[in-house]
Amino acid sequence: MPNIEDESENGDTSSSPVLRASGLEKTYRSKIPFVGRSVAVLTGADIELRPGEIVGIVGANGSGKSTLMKLLVGALQPDAGSVSRDATVGWCPQETLLYDRLTVRETFDLFGEAYGMTDQRVERRRGELADQLDFERFLDYRIDHLSGGNRQKVNLAIALLHDPDVLLLDEPYTGFDWETYLAFWTLTESLVEGGTAIAIISHLISERERFDRILELKDGRLHEQAEPPQQARSAAHDGEALESEAPESEAVASEPPTGGEA
Amino acid sequence: MSRLVTGTRLRLSELVRQPLTLSLLLVLPPVVIEMYGVAVESFPQLPTLSADPATVGRMTGALFAVAFLAGLVGLFQVISARNGDERAAIAGFPRWVMLLTRLVTMFVVALVGAGVAFAVFNYRVAVAAPGLAFGVLVLAALVYGLLGVIVGTLLPRELEGSIVLVFLADMDNALSSGLFPIEASASLPVVGDVGVTDFVPLFHPHELFTAAVLDGDLAVEHLVPTVFWVLALLVVAFVAYDRVTGEQGTGFLTGVAS
Repeated sequence: MPNIEDESENGDTSSSPVLRASGLEKTYRSKIPFVGRSVAVLTGADIELRPGEIVGIVGANGSGKSTLMKLLVGALQPDAGSVSRDATVGWCPQETLLYDRLTVRETFDLFGEAYGMTDQRVERRRGELADQLDFERFLDYRIDHLSGGNRQKVNLAIALLHDPDVLLLDEPYTGFDWETYLAFWTLTESLVEGGTAIAIISHLISERERFDRILELKDGRLHEQAEPPQQARSAAHDGEALESEAPESEAVASEPPTGGEA
Repeated sequence: MSRLVTGTRLRLSELVRQPLTLSLLLVLPPVVIEMYGVAVESFPQLPTLSADPATVGRMTGALFAVAFLAGLVGLFQVISARNGDERAAIAGFPRWVMLLTRLVTMFVVALVGAGVAFAVFNYRVAVAAPGLAFGVLVLAALVYGLLGVIVGTLLPRELEGSIVLVFLADMDNALSSGLFPIEASASLPVVGDVGVTDFVPLFHPHELFTAAVLDGDLAVEHLVPTVFWVLALLVVAFVAYDRVTGEQGTGFLTGVAS
């Protein structure tokens, strides 16, 4: 197992890709012979992620964004093509793939074990992430007793727990209130400054300035869109003058006072 | 080892947070044992019955209760946390360790279920060898717990999986009880002169339980096939789990992909 501490602290800012996928193909086939149809979702998708960049991946519903993400993390095997990962990876899936009857604290313990972290490190990271994403008071709540927004915070925090070099986030801010949305971007910016490569999938990217590159998934392949202006991105990093561009209604949503619901 | 301990501890925490499951573990065995006893009491004393009908009914009920409950827990252990397991596996939790944590949890349920069922049974029927009888109930629970894991792996749907299990356990238990013996016939050449009931999963536990309860004996000729059933189902459970969840790798996120 790689030394996660060392990798996260060496601040690698070289331009060599930390994650590279080429020629990814994936077709979903009916499991019942002669019935149903096959759907070719990816037909040769290529992507490279370099340290310290934020890449947005957009596409229409059903275009294969989540399939692409699952291939990148290893949750699915491609029919063709390859994925190479030269770094530790954090994956925040679109659905919160967590255990409903465990508490938030226990969820961290479980995934800390999975990542091969020591108890002390899990505890430290849990504290940091709970503070940054504001879910400290829910640490002893069961996952199925959390609101959607808080569950998504835990979903994201689990992806960040082992301080990965590459973050793959699938619709990460779904359900976030405005403050959490801003906190998310503040956290993201600090990670990028530390050299973390981040790919964010969204069906709708309203703040293009926040991204170094935007790739559109269309007809099974990724196409790079026009480069966002760097100056605008810098302004966006300050979290100012963006309220009008807040994502959907989440911008004005607020968490219930207790943060929990049965 | 640390992963196995943490995983098992958390699985058991999940389990005790399901009040309905716990209630069923406590309530169903007494109800089933008594219902079977009352239902079979009116049967005539058939030559195939090893004891009076009421005792045979209670023995059948005890085996059904522990087997079916363990089967259900095995089934839900695999189905309910399938998504979480997928993420944990990708994060680095070896899949065989995850399955092992589920099996250990299922074993704990088997022990508890067998304990409750035995306590009720022992209250109603004079048991010649209590320790032995309890051990047989645990074995029967293990057989069906593993069957539940296999059904849940191959048919990961709660309703459909439960239906399969209830039919399987009910039919198996009825055939094994001696109440409805089906002997070999010309239409069943494969089994030769052995009754087809010998091939159902609960047949040997039934014989073991009967010998332990009525005679206080360990029927070795039935112990070996019962242990074989447990080991064979264990292998099938591991293979099925590995094949079904095989597309996802393990440890990709921490760079120790396999």
